[in-house]
Amino acid sequence: MSDNDAELVALIDNELDESARGALLARLAADERLRQRYEELREAGAPVAASFDELLRQAPLARLRAALPAGEAVRGPSRRFGGIALRELAAGIVIGLIAAGVAAWAFGLFGDRDNWLSAVAQYTDLYTNETFTPLTPDAALQATELSAVRAKVGGNLTPENVALPGLRFTTAFMLSYGNHPLGVIAYVDPTGAPVLLCILGNRAPDAPIRADRRGDLSLASWSDDGRSYLVIGHMPKERAVALAQILEPRV
Amino acid sequence: MSEASRREVRAGLEPALARLWRYALVLSRARDVADDLVQATCLRAIERADQFMPGTRVDRWLFAILRSIWLNEIRSQRIREGGGFVDAQDALTTDGAREIEMNITASAVLRAIDRLPEAQRETILLVYGEGYTYAEAAAALGVPIGTIMSRLAAGRAALAKLK
Repeated sequence: MSDNDAELVALIDNELDESARGALLARLAADERLRQRYEELREAGAPVAASFDELLRQAPLARLRAALPAGEAVRGPSRRFGGIALRELAAGIVIGLIAAGVAAWAFGLFGDRDNWLSAVAQYTDLYTNETFTPLTPDAALQATELSAVRAKVGGNLTPENVALPGLRFTTAFMLSYGNHPLGVIAYVDPTGAPVLLCILGNRAPDAPIRADRRGDLSLASWSDDGRSYLVIGHMPKERAVALAQILEPRV
Repeated sequence: MSEASRREVRAGLEPALARLWRYALVLSRARDVADDLVQATCLRAIERADQFMPGTRVDRWLFAILRSIWLNEIRSQRIREGGGFVDAQDALTTDGAREIEMNITASAVLRAIDRLPEAQRETILLVYGEGYTYAEAAAALGVPIGTIMSRLAAGRAALAKLK
């Protein structure tokens, strides 16, 4: 191993910052021996990932699965709902319709009670990691869906304004609650877990961000300019508040 | 959060089994130990599922548990009992009695990795096999990024001698 190896390997792995990268590239351009070493190290690492894949093929999966504690093998996060797994339903049916249908069912339970947070929590809890994950709208569809929601509830709902770190936009759709329009923007995190931004056009007085819990769900809600907003999902309360703080000045 | 945590951990175990076993084999260089290590990791993960933060990566959390069990329980116990592991030859490419079938390049590369110190083997697996960034590997292993760089460079230098 030579003195330069660590830096050369970091260059190969695209781990150098811009200035270090520029400096090393300049040295490489002027030094043939350094270029040779760069090439040796690059070639040496090229087959490593594929070689490690060979070990994956050797894993004694049957034995490992059998050793899992009872009930843990091949069990996904889907819930049974009326005897039919939502995951199975979602495979072939327009997912937004299911989402809206579940929401309508939950709202029916709550009737006119002035507790839209609980109603949203009820239907959010029924969504699974599979409910929204298959939805991968392109930019044009995302803009169209957001535009339709904006037309009903108002606000600055553009793709840029609703973008959130660590979350992927999947769909936006309209519901209603207590004769007020309710816009829903659904995201998924890297594991597929749903996170919703809900906007209720209920002419509520302005109120600052407030954190709340409903079962395993974290909620962060606030009101502004005649609309009530809610961020909700299975996440730490602090995360829900942080997302709300990002959205509040934008939407 | 606890129900969500348990749900994500349960769902994340089975898809991670092969990768956990590979990590265990690279650390322990012994197939029977790797089996036990994965089993212990799964049990510990279920026991401690409430500590998992929903929305973060289950696989990385499982890797951290596996590593902790390896360092604090299995390896240290073996060292206490008799000075460590018998230094098996080519543990990654044989099952102790017979050669594992694999292509010539993979076999040569794994033999070379097998001869590296544990810290280098582990770092090479996490970065090149599992796709950790240098910063992620440094955080997972509790070392500075410079250490990750030197371990990877030493590993590649050893592999370069195969040519």
